[in-house]
Amino acid sequence: MKYYIPPSRRYRQKAALFSLLALVLAGLCLYLDFNPLMLFTEFHYLGDLLKSMTPPDFNLVWRSKDIPMAVAETVSMAFLGTLFGGVLAIVLAFLAASNTMPFRVVRIPVRLLLVLLRAIPALIVILVFVVSVGLGAFAGMLTLVIGTIGTFGQLFMEVIENTESAPAEAIYSVGASRWQVIRYAILPQAVPSFIANLFYSFDVNIRASIGLGIFGGGGIGFRLFLAMRVLHYRDALALVCLTIILIVLMERLSDALRGRLIGRGTLK
Amino acid sequence: MNGRSFSGKRYRKWVMPVLLLAILAEAAALVCGVRLGSLGKSFISGFSFLAGAIPPDWGAFPELLRPALESVVIALTGTLVGTLVSLLFGLAAASNISPAWLKQTTRLLLGMERSLPEIVILLFLVAAFGLGPFAGVLALTIGCVGMLGKLIGDAIEEIDPVTVESIQAVGAGKLQVMVFGIVQQIIPSVISFALFRFELSIRLSIVLGAVGAGGIGLELYRSFYLLDYHRACSALIVTLVMVLATERLSAFLRKKVRKEGALR
Repeated sequence: MKYYIPPSRRYRQKAALFSLLALVLAGLCLYLDFNPLMLFTEFHYLGDLLKSMTPPDFNLVWRSKDIPMAVAETVSMAFLGTLFGGVLAIVLAFLAASNTMPFRVVRIPVRLLLVLLRAIPALIVILVFVVSVGLGAFAGMLTLVIGTIGTFGQLFMEVIENTESAPAEAIYSVGASRWQVIRYAILPQAVPSFIANLFYSFDVNIRASIGLGIFGGGGIGFRLFLAMRVLHYRDALALVCLTIILIVLMERLSDALRGRLIGRGTLK
Repeated sequence: MNGRSFSGKRYRKWVMPVLLLAILAEAAALVCGVRLGSLGKSFISGFSFLAGAIPPDWGAFPELLRPALESVVIALTGTLVGTLVSLLFGLAAASNISPAWLKQTTRLLLGMERSLPEIVILLFLVAAFGLGPFAGVLALTIGCVGMLGKLIGDAIEEIDPVTVESIQAVGAGKLQVMVFGIVQQIIPSVISFALFRFELSIRLSIVLGAVGAGGIGLELYRSFYLLDYHRACSALIVTLVMVLATERLSAFLRKKVRKEGALR
């Protein structure tokens, strides 16, 4: 190539910006003495850990009834969290949506509550519940209820507000009461979305309940944490396999149920 | 008229599902040890407990800045590295460029990863590498690959094949086709996935911090357990500001990316 064509001005601007960002990030890594090359220099530790974990000790599952109980706890935590959280989220969403709740005095505080529940980290919620109701699956369940309301309350509110207004106006104009408008015009449009999202929320909650177990929420996450604490790595790997199987099974189940419910059109 | 419409046949089909749900809920409540009776009392104790923490420890804010920065850096590095790695996984998981066996194995691996929560991965990494931000970054990277690898793979499967063919037609090699035909096309969606994941990573980095990745999560957990509730309240405020600010920032950037098409 004989002629050198410089890149465009915009390209150079972007390149400068990105290299600046990379430099800042590298500087921050240095400041916090965090070294990404550790992955290569200390990789053998990971190998050692893997060696001490295999083969997984599956005897654990039927050695005592603790582990099946923990699995049941995890599943029921997620189930109840989704059920109660979902019901509360739907109620709050109806109180917060502008087309079902005419009074600003109610709407604004409920919306604020939803934003607050969304932003507050689950870590804080579980710590507070562990203090107030004690260690165990109950605290984990309550945390999942709060988390479900936070994640899905606002979403449900948007679903309600985005329903088509023509049917509501039509039956309102022939004399339906506010309740009848909600029951016959808004609810039929919103329920399929509610159900689909609640199934999704169950999948999310199963995963979350394992994480919460570590902070005292009980269930299989807590067992895993204990096994890691006392360095029973072979038990821990068995529990991890159990967790993966559990999560995949639950996902299949909720997919199948959702498909049946929504495919048949039973929700109208 | 009203009475008839409520006792009609249309509600009969709901009886069985609701009954089943109630029985399941009862059984689950038994397993979880739900004590609804004591719930009111415990809510009051929880609230009074929170109210006791109310005046935050104003002096603690300056020393909380470094852990907060640490959390942000952990999330940022994890997301950045994870996005780059998941580009490779995405290419391997797309059915229109990789062979069937590679696609199947990659998808299986990604699916397995997604069914493991980040916190479990972190437990293992902490056992291997010790406490510290490194294990946190690695856990977030792995989590990011599980999620973005699948999303990017799906995005690659939906690209316009005409562009790829036209690049091939003018004599591009295999690598050039990948870079200019495929990666260029998906960059806008990759950026918006990465921003979305960054939001998630910030939230996760708080929880991961408490298990041993350091940062603001550790600060929060520790001051809670040392019963220093005023300091915990300050840490909570810092966390909330951090989460809300990154959420806003990522929403703004995503809107911008969508409008401009790409950061070209």
